[in-house]
This record gives sequence, structure tokens and C-alpha cells, in this order.
Amino acid sequence: MRQSLPARLFLYASVVLTCAVLIFPIYWLVVTALSQPDQLRQLPPKFWPDEPRWSVFGKILEERPIFLWLGNSALAALGAVTISMVVSVLAGYSLSRFRVRGGQSLGLFILTAKMLPATLLVIPLFGIFRMTGLIGSMWSIILAHATLIIPFTTWMLKGYFDTIPRELEQAAMVDGCSPLGALFRVILPVSAPGLAATALYGFVLSWSDYAYARTFLTNAQGNWTANLGITTMKGEYISNWADISAASILVALPILVVYLFLERYLVGGLTAGSDK
Amino acid sequence: MAGGRFSLDLARPSRQHWLGYILLAPAVLLIAAIIVYPLIVSVDLSFQNVGIARLDQPRRPFTTANYERLFTSPDFWNACWVTLKLIVVVTSACFILGLGTALLVNNRFKGRSVARLLVAMPWAVPEVIAVVIFAWIFDSSFGLMNWVFLSLGLIDKTINWFSDPDAAFAVVATTMIWKGYPFVSIMSLAGLQSIPEDYYAAARVDGASALQRLRYITLPCLMPVIGVTTVLVMLWIFRDFSIIYVLTGGGPLKATQTLSIMTYEQAFSFFRMGYASAIGVVTLVICVIAAKLTMRRAPDNL
Repeated sequence: MRQSLPARLFLYASVVLTCAVLIFPIYWLVVTALSQPDQLRQLPPKFWPDEPRWSVFGKILEERPIFLWLGNSALAALGAVTISMVVSVLAGYSLSRFRVRGGQSLGLFILTAKMLPATLLVIPLFGIFRMTGLIGSMWSIILAHATLIIPFTTWMLKGYFDTIPRELEQAAMVDGCSPLGALFRVILPVSAPGLAATALYGFVLSWSDYAYARTFLTNAQGNWTANLGITTMKGEYISNWADISAASILVALPILVVYLFLERYLVGGLTAGSDK
Repeated sequence: MAGGRFSLDLARPSRQHWLGYILLAPAVLLIAAIIVYPLIVSVDLSFQNVGIARLDQPRRPFTTANYERLFTSPDFWNACWVTLKLIVVVTSACFILGLGTALLVNNRFKGRSVARLLVAMPWAVPEVIAVVIFAWIFDSSFGLMNWVFLSLGLIDKTINWFSDPDAAFAVVATTMIWKGYPFVSIMSLAGLQSIPEDYYAAARVDGASALQRLRYITLPCLMPVIGVTTVLVMLWIFRDFSIIYVLTGGGPLKATQTLSIMTYEQAFSFFRMGYASAIGVVTLVICVIAAKLTMRRAPDNL
């Protein structure tokens, strides 16, 4: 089907305009970071700084332990995702392939757990971590993030395993593979894209958390995650938007890069099992 | 769903049955320890007069005072109202923007894959960073928004976005819409792509206009996706903590205090964890109802 020239021009114009408006806040973050601080206090605002101040990133890295924050965020995400994936792969496979008594109610519980607000669980977890002395440690944040991630990963992996034909492991078992061997040697290798998408999604969930980090880690500066660090900057010097913006870019960058290059996997994870 | 409903009873059904439980065990144990047990503690706390939760001390006497106080508190009903308002405003705006952008980039044109990436990009911006962006755009003295509104002649003096209740609500809603619409867009686009091209070809043969095709093919085919997405978006707003807490802290005058924010504030600013748990239990009940509703819509997912 060929479109007429005016129709095509109109389409391009609306695409460009829509993208421009929706992406503008991200662009504005970059402009703010690169502007001289006193330039930000002038009206009308400049939509591109006269002399982009690239040195702001070096300055902010010197003043704030951004790499430490990013490292902590990565550590929390890796820990929580690893724990979650191990238990979820087994559970998702079981829910997909076996008739287990209580499987239905477990599924309903997991679905409910997916919807729980962090503000509900954070209170009892605070009590439990205080009792066990975990407050302020990375373990508190890893376990708390696992509560966020496990319901998602179990649900997503169960849906993914459902799409893999049973004939695969039946064939393997005819050839003498044990049921567990069939899972590890046949099902998991062919599920690699699904596993990657699920793990990536779990990573994003952990990376985005603020509520748990703020509750458990506020008094443990060395363990601050990136999101927690940024918010302390916002409260601290409300007027220095250039610095906060520069730090924000550094914190947002890992996820944005993952999004730009692995969008297919992330989106696959998001839409899995929900278009039925 | 591929695979059908018959279970894997190829060789020794009894042993495989047993394996099913073994595979499930680690997840069940972990979920019991870090989700179920805390939930029980939460319900238990809500029936005690507790300041700071101390699990190593004997439990306080049973009381329903937290709930009595909750249901007679104007703050609680205010939080319910704010939550509801936010859900209605943000969900509808997310759908207009999300569906609109999905329909737009579903067209065939050069650079479509780039446009798709850009249109959903805010999804990948962490919520806390989105707050930084919008807190600056809506800054009262040098923010861009005041300048734009002044230049357009919409206002004659600057708005103090974070001290006026209605303005603060608008800022929170705007930030949430910007963070939330890409999800609708991504889901709708996936739904759009699963509609067979034949439907449109047949409609074109019958002389249906573009508007009719949208009304009689696209929207009905999208309905299942829209149903699930609506529930998910509403729950995301219902649960959200970081956007509101970092942006306004629930103020001014509790104008942006949702149930989530109220729970957290009671627990960690006023240290009334028993009372906060009671609010939490109310949100739990709402979540269970929402889960049941979703299950009815998509029972195949289990």
C-alpha cells in the first residue's frame, strides 16, 4: 500500500513532534547538567548552553561517591536477581509442568504478592531486620528486593515454560534423560532468551527501588544505592540543579543503555503472558 | 496456550508428581520467610498499640483501636480520595498517550524502530530521576514551566507549584503520566502487532474508512490487552511510593497523600507502626480484590 505524499509528510511530522515532546524532559536534564549554574537562574532559559560544561561529570564524581552508589545498586540487584532466578526457575517449571496440590492457590498468592505495595511489607521487614541485626546491611536490601522480584520472575517464567512444547522433554526422557536432566539439559538451554528477559526485568525492578533503600540503608552511608544517594542530594542543595542533573544522568545511564540495546528482551518480558 | 492441559505422565507419574513438590519447595520456603511471615506480622501489628516494631519483645494486648481510629480519621478518607483521584486522572491520561503513540508508531515508515524506542524511553528512566527532572521543570523561581506559561500569557504571575495543593497534585500527576504512559504504549503495540493483517485487508475491500477500521477492528482486538494493562497501571499508581514521596512528601496540606504515603509516614515519621499496619492491611485487602478480578479476566495465565 502506498501512501500519498501529504499523508506521509503528515505522518512524519506527527512522529517527530510526538517524540520531541515526550523526550524533551530527558533532553532538558542533559541541558541542565551542562549549563553553568548561574545560567540556570536566567530567564528566558537557554535551550542549549553556550559552552557545554562537560567537566561537570568529573566534578560530581569527585564530590560524590557515585561509583560506590552504582556499585551498591548493582550488588543489590545481582544478589536479589540470582536468588530469585534460582527459586523461580524451579518453581515456574513445576507450576508449568506438574499438577501440584495447592498450585492454583500458590499462583493466586504470587499474583497478589506482585501487587503488594512496598509500603505494606516495609514495616514488618523493618521489625524483622532489626531483630536479626540486618538493618543497614546489603543483605537487608537484597532480601527486600527479592520480595519484589520473586513474584514477577516466577510468574514470567511459568508463562514462558508454558510456550515450550512438552514433546521436547518427552523426547529427552524417551532417550533416557531423567525429568530433572530434561529440565537442565533441554528446557533451560532453549529458554535462554526467556531467562535473559526475566533476569533483566528483575534487575530493573531492583534498580528502581527507593522505598526499601531509604528505610533500611539511610543510616549506612557506605551502602547507599544510587537512587538513595540522588535523593539525598535533592534535599541537600535544592538550588544546584546542574550537579543533581549530572549525577542523575550517571545513575540513569546504565538502565537507559540496557533499554536502548536490549529493548527487545525487556519488552518481551513486559508483555509475556499478558496478551492472552 | 500451547501444550494443553494433560500433565507430563509419560513414564512414572507418581515420581514426577513428587518432583513437582520438590521443585516448588525452595520458592515456597523463601516466599514463606520473606513475604508470608512479614504479612502475618503486619496483620498482627495492626491489632496492637505499637510504636516501633520490636519482634523480640512480648506482644502487646489485642486491640482494634487502630482500625477504629483509622475509619474515623479524616486523613484516611482524604488519602482514599487522593488515591482515587490520582488513579482516575493518571490512568486515563496514560491510556490516551499510550494508545495514541502506539497507533502512531504502528504505521509503516522509515525509522520506525527508532521512533518506537524513543516513544517508550521514559519507561527506562528510574522514578527517582524522573522526579529530579520534573522537580526542576516545575521549580517555582527558575523552572521552565512557569516561564512557558508566562510567555504564553496563561498566567500573569508565577505559580508556586509545590505550596499550592492543586498545583502540587498536577505536578505529581504529570510526573506519573510521563513515567506511566510508555508501559501502555508498549503493551498496546504488542497487541496491535498480533492483529492479523487480513482483517484490515478484508475491511478495506468492504470499503471501511480508517476511522471505522479503528472502531470496529483495532479497538475490539485490543480489548483483552487493554483490560489487563488497565489493572496493572491502576495498581502501579496505587502502590507508588517514590515519585510522590520524593516530589512532595504527600504535601502540601496532604493534597498528594495517597494511602501508600500515609502508611509510610505514620510508620517512619511518626513511629506509629501499629496504626500504619492497619492502613497497610486495608491496602492488602484492596490488592487481593484486584488480584481476584485480574484472575477472572485472564484465568489462562495460571
